[in-house]
Amino acid sequence: MEPNLGTIVRSISIGPNREETGLESLQFREEIHRLMTVPPENGSSFTELLQLPETQAMELLHSAHSDEVVPVPLSGEPLHGINDDHKSYLPSFNGNLTFPSNKVLIERAAKFSVFASGEHSPETSSVPSDSSANLEKVKSEPAETDSNPNSSQLLVSDPAVNIKNQRSEKRKEREKKGKGCTKKSKIEISQDAEKLPYVHVRARRGQATDSHSLAERARREKINARMKLLQELVPGCSKTFAMQISGTALVLDEIINHVQSLQRQVELLSMRLATVNPRVDFNLDSLFAPESGSLADSNFHSMVSPLLWPEIPFNGNRQQHQQQWNFDALHRPLWGREEDNHTFITMENSLLNYESANSASLHSNQLKMEL
Amino acid sequence: MISKGATWNSNSCRIKFARRFVSALLHMRNRNTRPGSLTIEGVRTHTQRIKIAAYLSMAQAVGSRRAWSRAVLSKHGSRARRHSRMGRSSVGLKKTRVIRSYPPGELGQAKKLRQLVPGGKTMDMCSLLEETAHYIKCLATQVKVMQTLADNFSK
Repeated sequence: MEPNLGTIVRSISIGPNREETGLESLQFREEIHRLMTVPPENGSSFTELLQLPETQAMELLHSAHSDEVVPVPLSGEPLHGINDDHKSYLPSFNGNLTFPSNKVLIERAAKFSVFASGEHSPETSSVPSDSSANLEKVKSEPAETDSNPNSSQLLVSDPAVNIKNQRSEKRKEREKKGKGCTKKSKIEISQDAEKLPYVHVRARRGQATDSHSLAERARREKINARMKLLQELVPGCSKTFAMQISGTALVLDEIINHVQSLQRQVELLSMRLATVNPRVDFNLDSLFAPESGSLADSNFHSMVSPLLWPEIPFNGNRQQHQQQWNFDALHRPLWGREEDNHTFITMENSLLNYESANSASLHSNQLKMEL
Repeated sequence: MISKGATWNSNSCRIKFARRFVSALLHMRNRNTRPGSLTIEGVRTHTQRIKIAAYLSMAQAVGSRRAWSRAVLSKHGSRARRHSRMGRSSVGLKKTRVIRSYPPGELGQAKKLRQLVPGGKTMDMCSLLEETAHYIKCLATQVKVMQTLADNFSK
C-alpha cells in the first residue's frame, strides 16, 4: 500500500513540471484505479487523502476528462467546508472540473494530510514526507500559522493563498513570506474571483502579525535592497556608509548627483556631435580630410561654451587606450568649469594637431571595435 | 573588441542603442542639408534634436519593459506627436490633472529624483529606486556610445 501511495505522490510531484496534462491525467487515473482495487485499511490511502468515500472518488475519476481548466474558481467553496463536512467537497468539485492541474491537487493533498494528522492516525503525515520539497514548503507554512489564534479559517484558506503565493513567488522570485507576497496573492485572488471573505497574512516567525507593521517592514526591506543595488551602481558610493540604513540621505544625494552628471554628459556629447555632424560627409574616410580641420575650427570658435575644451586633450589619450571606458577625464570638466577658461587657446592648438595626425583606417577600425 | 567588463545584457543594449542612434543621426543629417548650422542658434537646435534622438533611441532599445522608457516614448514618440496634432490632448490633460501628493515620509531628495528620472512623478518610492537603477545603467551605456562616436567623428 505504502509504495503505491508513494509512487502516486511522486508522480504527482513530477507532474507540474511536464506540459502535457493529458498524459498526466492518464497516468494518474491508472494509478488511482490500481489503488481503488485495494480496500482502504489504513489512513494513508489515497481516498482518505482526499477525505472522500471511495465511490465519490471513483465518480471524480470518471468525470476527469477535461484537464485545462484551472481549479481556482471552485476551490473557494470547498475549502471552507473541508474541516467540517467532507461531503460538501464533492458537489462543487463535480460540478466543475474534477482533476485540475496536479499541482493544486498535490498541495491540497498535502494540506489534508497535515490537517488530518490531528484527527486521523499520524500515518497520514508520512505522505508529505515522500513528496517533493514543494510540498514540504507547503507543509511548513501551515505549521507556522498553526500558532495563529484564528487557525481554522487560516488553515482552510491556505491552499488557495499558497497556490497563489507559490505562483507569484516563482514568477517574481521572491522568497520572503511577508505581507508583500500576500499582497500579490490578494491581487491575484481578486482577479481570479476568489470568494474568500478576508485576506490572510502570513506572518514570519517571531515577528508581529500586525498587518500594518508587516507591510511597513516588507516595504522598508524592499527599499533597502534597492538602495544597496543603487549604491553598487553609482561609482564612489560604496565606500561611504556602505551598509548603514541611516545613510540613505547621503546615498540619495550621490545618486542624484550621478544622474545629473550623466545627463549633463549626454548634453555635452550631443553638442559635440552637433558640431561634428554638418561637416562634409558622414562616411568615415572623408571625415579625416584636411579641410575638415578648418571647418571644425570655425565651428568651435562660434561655440559659446568653454566646456568642450577640457575634453579635447583627453581624446588623445583615448586614441591610444581605446579599450578603457574611463570617465574621470569627463568628470573633471563638469566639476572644474571655473578654472578652464584660461586654457582656451592651448586647446585649440592641440585640436589642430590631433586633426592632422591620425589616419582614416585606424579610426574606422576603432569605431567598429569599440562599438 | 568590446570592453571586457560588459555582460551580454549590456552589450545587446549598447549595440541596439548604437545602431538606432547612428541611423537617427544619419537621418537628421540628410534632412539638415542647409548650412545654417554654423550659427549658434542652429547648433543649439541641432544639439537639442540630437539629445532627444539619443534619449528616444535609448528608450526604443530598452523597449516598453521599463516605466521610464515608456514615459520617454510617450513624451517624444511619433504617436504622441500624432495625437497632439490631431487635437486629442486627453493624455496631456490627464497628466496635468493628476496632482500627486508626494509621500511625506520621504526626504526632499525623492522629489528631485522624480524630476530627474523620466516618468518618476507617478511612481512610488520602491519602483522609483528600481527605475533609477536601470536608468543609470542605460545612461552610462548611452554616454559611452556617444563618447565613442564623438571621438571618432571629430578626428
